Amino acid sequence: MAMTAVARETVFALRRQIAKIEGTLPERLQAPAGAPLDADVNADITSNADLTIVRRGIAAALPDAFLPIGIERLDAALSGGLPRAALSEIHGLETRNAGAVAGFALSLTSLILKKAHGLPVLWIGTTEIFREAGFPYARGLHASFGIEPEQLLFSEAPRLVDALWIAEEAARMTALAAVILEIRGNPQRLDLTATRRLHARAQSAGRPVFLLRQAAGPEPTAAPVRLIVSSAPAVPRATVAGPLAGSIGRPAFTITIGKSRTALPGQFTLEWNPDERVFDERTGDERRQRAKNPVSVVSLSGSGKNPAAASGAVLAFPAVGSPAPGDQPPPRERTAHLGPRRAG
Amino acid sequence: MISHRHGNAQRISALDERAEALHLKRDIGIADARAMHPSIDIVEADPEADRRLLEGLADWCDRYTPLVALDGADGLFLDVTGCTHLFGGERAMLDDILSRFFHQGFDVRAGLAPTPGAAWAAARFCGDRIVVSGEEEALLAPLPLAALRIAPETRASLESVGLRTAGAVMAAPRAPLARRFGAALLLRLDQALGRLDEAVSPRLPVAPLSVERHLAEPVTLTEDIERLVGLLATTLKTDLERRGEGARTLALLLFRVDGAVSRIALGTSRPMRDPRLIQKLFHERLAALEQDIDAGYGFDLVRLSVLAAAAFDMAQADLTGEVADDGADIALFADRIRARLGEGAVLQPVTVESHLPERAVAIVPFTETPRRVTPPKKPDRMQAPMTIFPPERPIRLFRAPEPIEVPATEMPEGPPLHFRWRRALYRVTRAEGPERIAAEWWRQAPGDAAASTRDYFRIEDADGRRYWLYRQGLYGGVSQIPPRWFMHGVFA
Repeated sequence: MAMTAVARETVFALRRQIAKIEGTLPERLQAPAGAPLDADVNADITSNADLTIVRRGIAAALPDAFLPIGIERLDAALSGGLPRAALSEIHGLETRNAGAVAGFALSLTSLILKKAHGLPVLWIGTTEIFREAGFPYARGLHASFGIEPEQLLFSEAPRLVDALWIAEEAARMTALAAVILEIRGNPQRLDLTATRRLHARAQSAGRPVFLLRQAAGPEPTAAPVRLIVSSAPAVPRATVAGPLAGSIGRPAFTITIGKSRTALPGQFTLEWNPDERVFDERTGDERRQRAKNPVSVVSLSGSGKNPAAASGAVLAFPAVGSPAPGDQPPPRERTAHLGPRRAG
Repeated sequence: MISHRHGNAQRISALDERAEALHLKRDIGIADARAMHPSIDIVEADPEADRRLLEGLADWCDRYTPLVALDGADGLFLDVTGCTHLFGGERAMLDDILSRFFHQGFDVRAGLAPTPGAAWAAARFCGDRIVVSGEEEALLAPLPLAALRIAPETRASLESVGLRTAGAVMAAPRAPLARRFGAALLLRLDQALGRLDEAVSPRLPVAPLSVERHLAEPVTLTEDIERLVGLLATTLKTDLERRGEGARTLALLLFRVDGAVSRIALGTSRPMRDPRLIQKLFHERLAALEQDIDAGYGFDLVRLSVLAAAAFDMAQADLTGEVADDGADIALFADRIRARLGEGAVLQPVTVESHLPERAVAIVPFTETPRRVTPPKKPDRMQAPMTIFPPERPIRLFRAPEPIEVPATEMPEGPPLHFRWRRALYRVTRAEGPERIAAEWWRQAPGDAAASTRDYFRIEDADGRRYWLYRQGLYGGVSQIPPRWFMHGVFA
């Protein structure tokens, strides 16, 4: 134990040195308590009394350099989220996990598209992977991730070399919101050089490239982040009368951090909310939480001169296209069905 | 010497000059020829290869005129109307054609006449003759009946009544000729004499625009070709501007010195006229075809044609000179990818109104559609009502549903308990469904067994993976075919 602590401290000291020399990529490093700080590195002390070193180089840290996943613990472990202008690896250990891997990548894309409206997404894959794992289905992508069919572009290459070439050409386009490159296994062509080229292009264009690797083992690449995704059992669908037994609710993923700048290990179970397009973390006790927070299901009476005051927690049925729950619909909308009816 | 099988015997179908010197003739049996001259060399005839060669020559003749047609198995028609002045007159053009063919190693006979019939006769029976308008009759009169392009039976019966030359037929009264020998004879005669128009139907569609450059010194390097493409595209741009169009399909023709023609076509996803972009696209295409194009001794004629054009919308630049057009990047990117990897390299999904999942999304090659500027349509009465809970659809769909083995289901119509897919066994923990999707009877061929009702289940296995399965067919149906199970897609 003592050995690991010492080793960790050494690693952090070295990192700080590297940070001083490079000073280009902004990131946060968690330092062990009591570690001495260099004067020219900005430091601030967070509430947890963890020392966080924020490295600021010549290139100022852009406020949106990271894509926050929305889960505090995961974002902290990734030092602020997934880098926006970089190559990110998303691994699946088996081809049959392709649904979960693709689903996670698409939810990240969906998060990006919340900001970048209307930009297309290019999905590049080899013929092999599209045959083995299925071709992306535009109707499902629209329903689950809100990606319009017009926003989708697919590219199918018979050979890996061609897929890599398309990815390199696409990675430097700023007219694309994101590039997804899907490859199966550990081909020799996809080595450090190839990934470095992709990473460099993604960095200069400021667009993310998601490298989906199905049935692949970890190997050295230039991507700063590697996440290993597998599917997790979904919770039952929530209804007014509690969870519906035997039903399959929102998609859930188990995310393991395989590699990140902070080198913090972690495993998370995330649930994708297709209606609001956000991630929720599942800590294993939301069934109890849901039971603890009962929802008042009686709708408010909005007619009459003196409508009743709004009560505390009102939650509508989650419907497609509805505003965020908790928002009260304006009174006019609520009373529409109670208004005078037209004959015929 | 080339032999062919006619009836039950091998006969000579073509022979060279040295064989002719041995007094051999066409249609002599090979056995007889061998008996006379045991040392002759005989090759089996290959009509396919002959056809390919003739088509190659027709491609090459494209340099003289875009209207080139094949004539039988051994001739070519070139409609040179309006083209001769480009080569310095009729005589110079004919000499050019003959000398180039001679240098390529072909023995060619050519004739030039105002009508295809007269030119045909001149080429086959006079050799290297130019007939001016009005001289057709004088040309045809002394020629044998074969010069009229008539069927051999007609010819034989004409000869049997003593009409042995075209002139004799022309002198004979028309009505009895038509009654006895059919209208085809008079039609051929009138066509040859120019009384009736005969159109030469070209092999290839004529490009609306094309520019070319004859080179004194043949080029071989790909970079030189690309530069030439840039120059030609600059010339093309003025023509396209005058017509207010942009190119949608372009073809680059490279005429090799020894007669081979390479044809490189590419399509663009939006009308294009910028020479720089055209050059860039051909750069990708040539890079992809580097192995296939054999420059040999070099190309002496390079032609760039616009095969299809479409209206070109000018983008107006603002005062700073910047054109706000973000679609251009994507279109150009798609064109470059496709120029190198083929038409299917960039695809686009299009939703189709269909209940069948595999038909509901069509994957088509990317083309730029005009961006929808108007806001999305308001729901009106004509539109189907929006469902609050749309049916769950997978995010990946297998191109062909994969058969799975289902040993047991809890209920006959229910979801499976276990299934085996790709040799692995899966245990189903939860299932939703069924969602019944019936075949589209209005598209179904009668008696099509594959198009039966499907019951879809959304299932989750013990590891939390979610799949979309379906059972095809019903239990206890009239057909008595046991239902089969398929894996159709995966969920997130």
